[in-house]
Order: sequence, then structure tokens, then C-alpha cells
Amino acid sequence: MSTLFERIGGEKAVNAAVELFYRNLLADGRVARFFDGVDMNDQIAKQKSFLTMAFGGPNNYTGLDMRNAHKRLLEKGLNDSHVDAVLENLDRTLRQLGVGEKEVREVCDLANSVREDVLSRKQD
Amino acid sequence: MTRLTTGGSAINLEPGETVLQALERAGLDPPSSCRAGQCQTCLHRAIEGTLPPASQEGLTPGQKATGYFLACVCVPTSDLVIMRPGDVGREIDAEVRAIEKLAPDIVRLRLEADGFDYRPGQFLELIARDDLRRHYSLASHPDEDDFLELHIRLHDNGRMSRLLRNEIIAGARLRIAGPSGACIYEGVDPDQPMALIGAGTGLAPLYGVLREALGCGHRGPIRLYHGARNTSGLYLGDALQSLAGRQAHFDYKPVVLDPSAPLGGDVSALALATVTGFAETAFFLCGGENLVNRLRREIFLRGASLNQIRADVFLPGR
Repeated sequence: MSTLFERIGGEKAVNAAVELFYRNLLADGRVARFFDGVDMNDQIAKQKSFLTMAFGGPNNYTGLDMRNAHKRLLEKGLNDSHVDAVLENLDRTLRQLGVGEKEVREVCDLANSVREDVLSRKQD
Repeated sequence: MTRLTTGGSAINLEPGETVLQALERAGLDPPSSCRAGQCQTCLHRAIEGTLPPASQEGLTPGQKATGYFLACVCVPTSDLVIMRPGDVGREIDAEVRAIEKLAPDIVRLRLEADGFDYRPGQFLELIARDDLRRHYSLASHPDEDDFLELHIRLHDNGRMSRLLRNEIIAGARLRIAGPSGACIYEGVDPDQPMALIGAGTGLAPLYGVLREALGCGHRGPIRLYHGARNTSGLYLGDALQSLAGRQAHFDYKPVVLDPSAPLGGDVSALALATVTGFAETAFFLCGGENLVNRLRREIFLRGASLNQIRADVFLPGR
């Protein structure tokens, strides 16, 4: 049985998804403001890192990175509704790219698994 | 054995060791996060040596051509001299060949320096004194000009401005360091449309890039949008107009700020309203932070890949 990362198309799939995903987020009024004032090139690299993790690819994910990266956003009011919106955009991006139903669900589950870290609710 | 040199330190690499691991072992505390070649937190730049291709995966063509790489996935096969992305490198002497006014508040400074290799569109650090350093974009072309040309806006209370206005004359000695920046003619298809968009002295690097594109035989349409607060700020206008007359595929679009115009009446409004085919165009943006960031976002949302949006941001006192 091949891994999720292999089935979905590996790094090529990440590269195909990353700009579309970011564009979808910037065009979504529910979450766009959280990207104000951030360096876009820096941000797209972070998105790529996140998508690689969500696609089951090689990563050195630590909850601490995720918590630090979103600390500033919590002060701007980041909550569950925004995480839901991001996951919805991820789901939509994958479908736009023709990813299969089963893989879409696996990716969204992996992405959702960092929710507690993003919202700083989990303690080590 | 391969050797890594950075700042004042030289580190002998262990077999299989990455640049990031070596910097950490030497106690240099390099920034890092994903350690898997994606997040770019550990971005560095090599100014000497050959980089393994894997260490430049995912970077823009301009970054690749100017030696940027990801330290966490770089296992060097040759000696490297590296620095952090914000550093400008070693200083060399330069002599002022000429200084003259291009507009009431803009001067053209031409310098002579030996052994300064650069690509049109890059910038350098001009050092008048140890505590007086500014970054300026190069408007010259290394193959066509035997001098370095900078376009500098003079500010009423700027220290460098006062020096340039009152003291710097032909023959004066200064120092420079660099070059730096990746807003260059790289990764552009010869048939691709190009949009060069700049405000004020943001014209300088665009002028270099334009000449490089024409010199390389670029065939796609090239549009240069230059914005200024008033007519006198549209310096080099005559030269660009006449170039547009000679080159059928080059179009010069000057625009003077008009706040009463429906869409803001600035260079970004004009560019966004008249560029077609955002997904196919190679973009070069240059000017203040607000202008460049706003344009980058709008252009990206209209379908351009971030890889095709090259930008040089002018920061105050940079």
C-alpha cells in the first residue's frame, strides 16, 4: 500500500496546490485579513511547508512552530471558525485540482490534526 | 574536505553534514524551522563556490542565479563562502566619475570601481562613512557601461542627501558593497510579455532590466510603467520615449499622480487596468513598500505566479 504522499502525487502536487490554496485564502473575506502585512514570499514558503505536512510528506512538524507562528493571529481574534474556513479552502483547492475523494478526506484530517496547536489549546 | 566560510569563521564540514548543521555546530545560531527544504527560514546566499541543485529547489530563478540556497538541505560538494540574505558582503573602493541632476530632487551618481560584478536590477550599498550607509539600485548595465549608475532621491533632511547635494563631486572617494537583490532578468521566456512597474527612482533597476532584456533579444511585448508625483519626476522620459519609437515591442507608459482620478490615478492603478494576461506576464516591481506590496498581492490574485513577480522594495534608510 503506497503512502498518502505518493498517491496524491508527491512534491509536484504540493507545488500545484500551494499558489491556488493561497490565492483562495486571500480571496476569502473570512480569513484574508490575517494575511495583511505579511511577506508573501515568506508566507508561500510556510504554506508549502504546511501542505507538505498535510499531504503526508516529509516534514519535521513540531507543535511549537505551529503555536509560535499563530500567536500573533490569536491576538487578532483567530478562532475555530477561521480554522474551519481554512480547511474549507483546502478542501476546495484539492477538488479544483481533481484530487480523489478519499485523499481529500485524509489530507483534511491531517490538516485538522494541528487545530489545537494553531489555537494554542494543547499543552506539551 | 569541504570548507564553509561565513563572516569571520571558517568551518570544516563533516562528511554528509548540511550547512545548517555546520553553522549550528559552530555556535552561529542560524535561523531554521522545517529543516526539510520548504519553509525557507534558513535561506542563505553563497558568493563563492558551487551549490548542489537540491539546495535551490523551490527558489525563484532570480534567487537561484544570485546564489540563494536553503541551508537545511545543502550538503556542499565544493568550498563555499556564504552570508545571511540581508548581508551585502565585502566593501571595495569607488570613485565618483560624475554627479548631475536628473530632476529637481533626483541626482544621477556615476561611480568607477574595479571588480564589481552584478546583474542589471540588483542594488548596492553606498558607504560614505562607517555610520552612513544606504542601499541604491543599479541603473547601469555591466556589459554596456564602464561605470555604475545610481539614481538617488534627495531628501531635505537626509544625511546622505546633504552630502550628495553639497560635498560629493567628481573624483570623490567612496566605498561600496554588494551586489544584492534578485529582481533580475532571469527565468523569463524570450516571448513572454513583460510588465515593468516602478515609482520615483524605482525606475533605476527597471531601466537596467529593460536594457538587459533588449540586449538579450527579448521578443515579447515589454511595457514600462513609471509613476511620479509630478511631471519633473518623470526623468529619462525623453530617452525612453525615443527608445519606444525605435523598438516596436517596447511601450513606455509615464503617469503623474492624480488623486482625483477614479481609480486613484497612480502607476499601480494604470498598470492593473491595462495589463492583460496576468498569468502569462513576467512582472518587475520597484518602489516603496506600500506600492510594491499592494501591487504584488493584486497581481497574484489576478492569476500571476509569485515566481513571476520579481520585486525590489525601497525601504527608508535601507
